[in-house]
Amino acid sequence: LSSDATRKGVGAHATHLLLLGGFSALMLFVTRVVPETQGSLWTIAAIGFLLLSGTLLSELLAPLGLPHLTGYLIAGIASGPYALRLVDEHTVKSLSPVNTLALSLIALAGGAELDLETVRKGARSLGWAMFVQCVLVLVVVTGCFLVMARPLIPFTRQLAPAALVGVAMLWGALAVTRSPSATLGILSQTRANGPLATFTLAFVMVSDVVVVVLVALVLGCVRPLIDPGATFSLDSFSTLGHQMIGSVALGTTLGLVIAAYLRLVNRQMLVVLLVLGFGVSTVIEYLQFDPLLTFMVAGFIVRNLSNQGHKFTAYIEKTGTVVYVVFFATAGADLDVPLVRQLWPVALLLAGSRSLVTWGGARVAGKLAKDLPVLRRWAWSGLVSQAGLALGLSVVISREFPVIGPSFRALAIATVAVNEMIGPVLFKFALDRAGETSRVQAPTFPSMPPPPMR
Amino acid sequence: VNAILILMGLLVLSYLGSFLVTGRSVRGVGLPSGVEYAALGYVLGPHALGLVGADNLASFEPVVQVALGWLAFAVGLDFGYAGDKRVRVGSLTLGSLGSILTAAAVAAAAWFTMDRLGVGGSATDRVLIAGGAGAACSETTRHAIRWVVDRYDAKGPLADRINEIAHTDDLFPMIGVAVLFALDPTRNVALAMPLRDWPAITVGLGLLLGGGAAMLLRSEMPIEDTWGVMFGVSLIAIGTATRLAISTLTVTFFMGMAVSVLTRHGAELRAMVGPTERPVLLPALVLAGARIDFHAMPALPWIAAAAIGGRIVAKVATGWLLAASSPPARKAGAFVGLSLLSSGALAMCIGLAFALRFPGPVGDTVLVIATLSATVGEFVGPLRLRRALFLAGELPEPGSSGGVRI
Repeated sequence: LSSDATRKGVGAHATHLLLLGGFSALMLFVTRVVPETQGSLWTIAAIGFLLLSGTLLSELLAPLGLPHLTGYLIAGIASGPYALRLVDEHTVKSLSPVNTLALSLIALAGGAELDLETVRKGARSLGWAMFVQCVLVLVVVTGCFLVMARPLIPFTRQLAPAALVGVAMLWGALAVTRSPSATLGILSQTRANGPLATFTLAFVMVSDVVVVVLVALVLGCVRPLIDPGATFSLDSFSTLGHQMIGSVALGTTLGLVIAAYLRLVNRQMLVVLLVLGFGVSTVIEYLQFDPLLTFMVAGFIVRNLSNQGHKFTAYIEKTGTVVYVVFFATAGADLDVPLVRQLWPVALLLAGSRSLVTWGGARVAGKLAKDLPVLRRWAWSGLVSQAGLALGLSVVISREFPVIGPSFRALAIATVAVNEMIGPVLFKFALDRAGETSRVQAPTFPSMPPPPMR
Repeated sequence: VNAILILMGLLVLSYLGSFLVTGRSVRGVGLPSGVEYAALGYVLGPHALGLVGADNLASFEPVVQVALGWLAFAVGLDFGYAGDKRVRVGSLTLGSLGSILTAAAVAAAAWFTMDRLGVGGSATDRVLIAGGAGAACSETTRHAIRWVVDRYDAKGPLADRINEIAHTDDLFPMIGVAVLFALDPTRNVALAMPLRDWPAITVGLGLLLGGGAAMLLRSEMPIEDTWGVMFGVSLIAIGTATRLAISTLTVTFFMGMAVSVLTRHGAELRAMVGPTERPVLLPALVLAGARIDFHAMPALPWIAAAAIGGRIVAKVATGWLLAASSPPARKAGAFVGLSLLSSGALAMCIGLAFALRFPGPVGDTVLVIATLSATVGEFVGPLRLRRALFLAGELPEPGSSGGVRI
């Protein structure tokens, strides 16, 4: 039976591969036969192809132990502007509403997964890990950047020593960012449950807030180093404080409204989530609050101040899967492959040093907090991924310091690309080894209820 | 009004639509054709209050294309099935004959009127208007039958037969749309292609993509991946069709048919996709309504009147065919065919597809005719259907308290 199943599995994968090739050939043929078109309409086909190729490729890579997320990213890179060109730069830009929706779902899901009781129990681990990771990564990665700068990073060669220290500190702050989306993506696929999954999720979600504060602090400190005319100022903290308090207040209100809706109506959550993703995100943007924090707080409130948390998580998971595929595939398509090809040696060194420090930090924090062996061994694995947050902060840094901006951002893109590819693989591997990956198969057709037809 | 507010409005409509589908207590609420949503769109649109401008409508074109494609996919998936049962061959034949007859009558009436009044532009434009009106006015909406059956608890062989006809009269209008779109192919194609090949390419593309999707859906997949495959292939179909300037509706309709026939999960897929139809339809109807321009062409009221007249005559004739082949229909009187007069979702979709593909007098005229036809059908169809079912003994007397559930 087992060899039969294997043969059947191989047959199915071969069919999927062939069909994926067929769909790609069709898309290529159409783009060649009708070379120009109204961009917005071709975006429809591009989304479809990213969705389909991401779904199929993730299934094809699953037997190799690779996470679905890697499949989505590879699908995006392959169909993107630097490979098959089925999805061009314009299309990638026009997919920003999908990204907004995905990020809101990710933050909601992240918040809704944080159980206050579990977080309280793991507070010691979390506290130590947060402190050690932030300090160690910031200091050591800053040091690594300083060491590598002159021989390996061209744009740092004309910087004065003080400015170089400032840039290195910015790099260190950037290295502290993690990827909530990648963590949620892996947890959603593996349906993992256990200390490692809980710790990683809590760490990544909380570190999101910590990083925003840390980057603001570092920006204030390094400004006089990079720009000698500037003075040390903590003005940005006033804006940041307003932003944080506003986000928490709005998130709390939103969470209570969602909990009330789930309790009283509890239907058509797909449309409600779309309204949250598009409508509320626009309101948040208008108010200049932090969308990630707002949605995370909303999810947290639903989970911990009502008994609707599990229901809410299930709804987001159902809706999110399709959105995540497009989100990560778009991230893959958006990857500047030529830039990565150009900067890969230094990006690899910087990413490697960050991973090493993260690993060391996890060992130290694990000892200090007297963590479970599974955490001491694997806690670092989920903290390697970097994605949207790091890129977003690199845009902020680039805007704040135009002299080094473009080069700094290019290096950030290349390094984040490395972490984006390696991080999810490591985290899934760790979850598998820690025995936290769910063995229960996702529901397929036979488990569906009979059609409600007359 | 900016795009995000319009989007929110559409999502609210979608929300309401989903309740109309899934809530048993409110099933049967609203008009079966959904034409009131088109009226709402018209009131908000650039030709009435102007709250939704023409530029806003243009920015929502991708959303409309996706909605149209998905609705046609759902119709294709459901083609040949009434509920969970396959329709009988007799119903399929009658549904197809009825739609051909109606399309021909409507097209002839519209053509004759344009010819007499000397309007309609070039010969190609006239063919497009007459053919488009014929395609849009040929169907009987499935929703109207379900609306009456649900609201009045009708049961019996005539209700079943009419329901089956309404589920099988979409094939030829879809082919007609593919042929008409081929009359004005995209100028952008780098490959020389005779006009006659485009309809075959349209149908073939739908079947090819549907076949591919069916092969993917044959294996056991998590439900999320099933949605991924269905959405993915549908969006590829819609994007490809718009790029080739062929009929999106036809491509996705045939794709739905192919998926339904070639996969063993047809019933489950219909159960998955069915509930999405109404939530997608209502926003599409509002956007269709916003595009309606009653001054699209001189003598438009006459052309529309002729087309609707042709539809009424053809439906009465279809009723005679129905009576000849089905004994319970004979009890329903000579005008049983008028109970097939309700049109709605598909008619409006075809009208909207023409408005998008042929912006200007041609597309706008077809959309106006489709809307007016649905409105007239609204006043006549459900009433005549109720009357026919009463005469056939499948419904309590209209006005009596028994059986009527509001």
